[in-house]
Amino acid sequence: MWDAALHALGVFADPHRLWVLLVGVLAGFVVGMIPGLGGVVAVSVLLPIIFRFDAPTALAALTGALAVVYTSDTITSVLVGTPGSPASGPTAIEGHALARRGQAARALSAAFLSSAVGGMLGVIGLTLAIPVARPLVMLLGSPELFMFTVLGLAYSGSLLGASPIKGLLSGLLGLLLGLVGPSPAAAQFRYTFDHPYLLDGISLEVLALGIFGIAEITSLLARGGAIAREAPLGAGWLEGVRDVLRHRWLLLRGSLIGVWAGVLPAIGATAAAWMSYGHAVATTPDRSRFGKGEIRGVIAPEGANNAATAGDLIPTLLFSVPGGPAAAVILGALYAYGIYPGPRLVEQHLDLVYVIVWSFALANVLGAILAFGTSPLVARLTHIRFALVAPPLLVTMVLSAYQTTRHSGDLLALFALGILGWLMKAAGWPRAPLLVGFVLARPMERYFWLTVELHGWRWLTYPGVLAIAALMVGPTLWSLLRDRREASSRRAKGKPEGSVPGALLAILAAVLFGYGLWEARTYEWQARLLPMVASAPGLILALVQAPLALRGEVTGSELEAPPGRELVQLLVIGAYLGGCWLVGYFWASLLYLLAFLRYAARLQPAAALSYTLAGLAVLWGIIRAFGLAWPSGAVLR
Amino acid sequence: MRGLAVGLVVAVALSVGTAWAQAAYYAGKSIEVIVPFAPGGAADVGARFLSPFLEKHVAGRPSVTVRNIPGGGSMLGASFFAANAKPDGLTLMCTTSSTIFPWMFGHPAARYDLARMRVVMTLPFGPVVYVSPRTGVQRPADLLRPAVPLVYGGIAATGSDLPILIAFELLGLPVKVVLGFGGRGPIRIAFERGETNLDFQFTPVYLTQVVPLVRDRKAIPLFTGGFPNERGELVTRDPVVADLPSVFEVYQLLHRTKPAGPRWRAYEAAANLTFTYGLSCWAPEGTPSAALQALYEAAERMNADPEFKERGKSVTGGYAVSRGDQVERLIQRAMRPTLEVKKYIIDLLEHKYGVRGLRL
Repeated sequence: MWDAALHALGVFADPHRLWVLLVGVLAGFVVGMIPGLGGVVAVSVLLPIIFRFDAPTALAALTGALAVVYTSDTITSVLVGTPGSPASGPTAIEGHALARRGQAARALSAAFLSSAVGGMLGVIGLTLAIPVARPLVMLLGSPELFMFTVLGLAYSGSLLGASPIKGLLSGLLGLLLGLVGPSPAAAQFRYTFDHPYLLDGISLEVLALGIFGIAEITSLLARGGAIAREAPLGAGWLEGVRDVLRHRWLLLRGSLIGVWAGVLPAIGATAAAWMSYGHAVATTPDRSRFGKGEIRGVIAPEGANNAATAGDLIPTLLFSVPGGPAAAVILGALYAYGIYPGPRLVEQHLDLVYVIVWSFALANVLGAILAFGTSPLVARLTHIRFALVAPPLLVTMVLSAYQTTRHSGDLLALFALGILGWLMKAAGWPRAPLLVGFVLARPMERYFWLTVELHGWRWLTYPGVLAIAALMVGPTLWSLLRDRREASSRRAKGKPEGSVPGALLAILAAVLFGYGLWEARTYEWQARLLPMVASAPGLILALVQAPLALRGEVTGSELEAPPGRELVQLLVIGAYLGGCWLVGYFWASLLYLLAFLRYAARLQPAAALSYTLAGLAVLWGIIRAFGLAWPSGAVLR
Repeated sequence: MRGLAVGLVVAVALSVGTAWAQAAYYAGKSIEVIVPFAPGGAADVGARFLSPFLEKHVAGRPSVTVRNIPGGGSMLGASFFAANAKPDGLTLMCTTSSTIFPWMFGHPAARYDLARMRVVMTLPFGPVVYVSPRTGVQRPADLLRPAVPLVYGGIAATGSDLPILIAFELLGLPVKVVLGFGGRGPIRIAFERGETNLDFQFTPVYLTQVVPLVRDRKAIPLFTGGFPNERGELVTRDPVVADLPSVFEVYQLLHRTKPAGPRWRAYEAAANLTFTYGLSCWAPEGTPSAALQALYEAAERMNADPEFKERGKSVTGGYAVSRGDQVERLIQRAMRPTLEVKKYIIDLLEHKYGVRGLRL
């Protein structure tokens, strides 16, 4: 084993390989920073190049790219509150809140260090797992996998926030959105309106961009000024490092959640990040700081998402079963080299396994160095007027959203989900449960029906199932008990007032759940059960919530400007997206950038023009370098 | 003698002429291959495996890039191809039966017409069906009387499981079919765990993942899908796993007669589209014949290339590619089976697997 490990390290004695690894790391780093582009794009970008190399070199490049995506996505999440990839959603909440308080440097350094440590722990897990993971995974059948998805939901119970009813509504809405598309157990498509765009369901990338990205840009623009409101930037790098040291055990637990989520075929980095965020909330004595910039909410998920990436590789290498979409690309590349990972991989290609291990470790170090190196520059962005940062950011987000299917539906979905995200923000509904419900809906349904079909009802007495159930009941009960104690102290905060967005959102949710129920009545039983489980309680809760919101409650609204001003910004974004659909991305972006910079950001005409042209040139470079597609217009192609 | 010499000169001139014309067609051009699936799947692996050999063997040595357009179970990408690809041979589509079946059964989202496209090249994906020894089944002859109920895990009735599901009907096997798995990899793990006991995998996966199980006596290979003769009838053995009988042979073994009728023809059509022409590459109608010829000839040269054979062994199982002009008629015929056959398939899918919205 050690011979092979050392021999594989010798592979990197060749400077050419080290160079290719660095190219992979750079590609992954840049892709990670661009909001909405994640691991799949990072490795796909490299596919056309790597087949010119031998297998170890190609693997070094792919692993390098994959390993750093969840390091650099932090930058966007912290600075602009838009997840660099769906798996850094928690950082977009907590890290960004810190940035707004002028603590961007602290959040970034804590996140980078956690990412690197998480990645290292993940790769150690990967190495140790090679001899033992096979029997372990063999213990997990459909019933156990189903229970793990339920466990994931239960762990996110601590994300419900101050008002459990809103949190539950958000989670149920996420479940319902996650069920759009093909039903695994019955040959039926659900909630697709017979439109091909929805046949595969809503894409996670577009959902994360809409729910967080659009909503956040809207608010920041409406508020005006720079992102950071207080305090100078400079300081805080060391404080972030101290934070990580102080919370080292949390980081370890978060990373372990990540590795485990990676090993499970149904649960990936996004679920891992949210689950460990939930764990961080549940284990923090004073929970009031969550949502307002709690460093523990950055450390745990950042460790988890990097660790999950390494965990994803365990089933990929041991079973030829990809642990996630990005791992599927790596598996495809291995196939193309005629390497079919599996039980014999360890005997036949142990050197390749260690090339992956070393590449992953080296890339994590390189990624952290790059991240620390670039972010003092990037962090300055938080002190620039946001009106100057937003336009290129939005234009890039639209481009990323369009990459998921290259269909104009991506633009519409982005805007619709953006409105939903904004309403949730305005009404103080937590957005985390929605994401968790969304990512767990489909695996939960799939494994539930497989369990019932393959095991009848005997599975309820399986020891593995009972063990996971015990894991679930303990923390949940404890958390409920603590909630009762805390409830009184929390209820006192803020003064109740009627909330129009709150009422609107509750009514919208009621309509969605009502439609969900109504539509489900025509489905086969297997396609109907989970939609009903999501919609029926959702409808009742929404109907309870609507009058509550209207009559007056403590909304916990996260808006910082009057709703009217926010709405104007949202409409401008909508107009730009409509323009993309109508005249194509190029002309719409040109017009939007020019008009926005001139009239909203009030730049001089010459400055607006040169900024626009420079922005478009950079975009063009990104499109060429990564082989992306322009959205073409319906009228003007 | 002079006549012969003139003839030779003319022949040489002609062949040089055609070679020059073809070299001219793709010289300095680039081909974009659209794969309507996400990267990493079988179609993507197949297309990416072929593309460097296309670069090498298409006269004029064009550069080849693969572009993934996933969505709508491959229907979005195929519709995109139909709407946007110019008939110039520079945009091709490589896909699987997942694109063909919805079109055959009139899915409203299938906004493309495969009957009006040209087949450029195909590559087989051969299946191997195997069983767990705990079923008491030792050889195909035991299939009708298993010791415990046979349980088969699949993804969806309208996908690559379809020919196997039809084969179960054809052979009259008592199988409990559980659909809804997320991929063929998880199905294999479920088999290894004992959640299912009857499964199929495509040949490269069979050779690398299942053969070790066979050696450990945890799996018993039973049969393959069969391979077509020159008339497209699935009566011969799969060349890659030639020691295993085909569905055709197993039927005769179990029922003492040759398979015939709508069931057999439904199996043949579904199996040809899913397995024999597992990866099919298409060009828009009206593509110049110079381009098509260059691609057909590339297929021929690829089969003769020792590097292609060597790498193909581990990537695809080692099948040869077929020239589009040689299989086009067979594919078009398989895509348009008789009314009786289509009715049989729709009946099976609707009544046994609850699929709705299929059209004749």
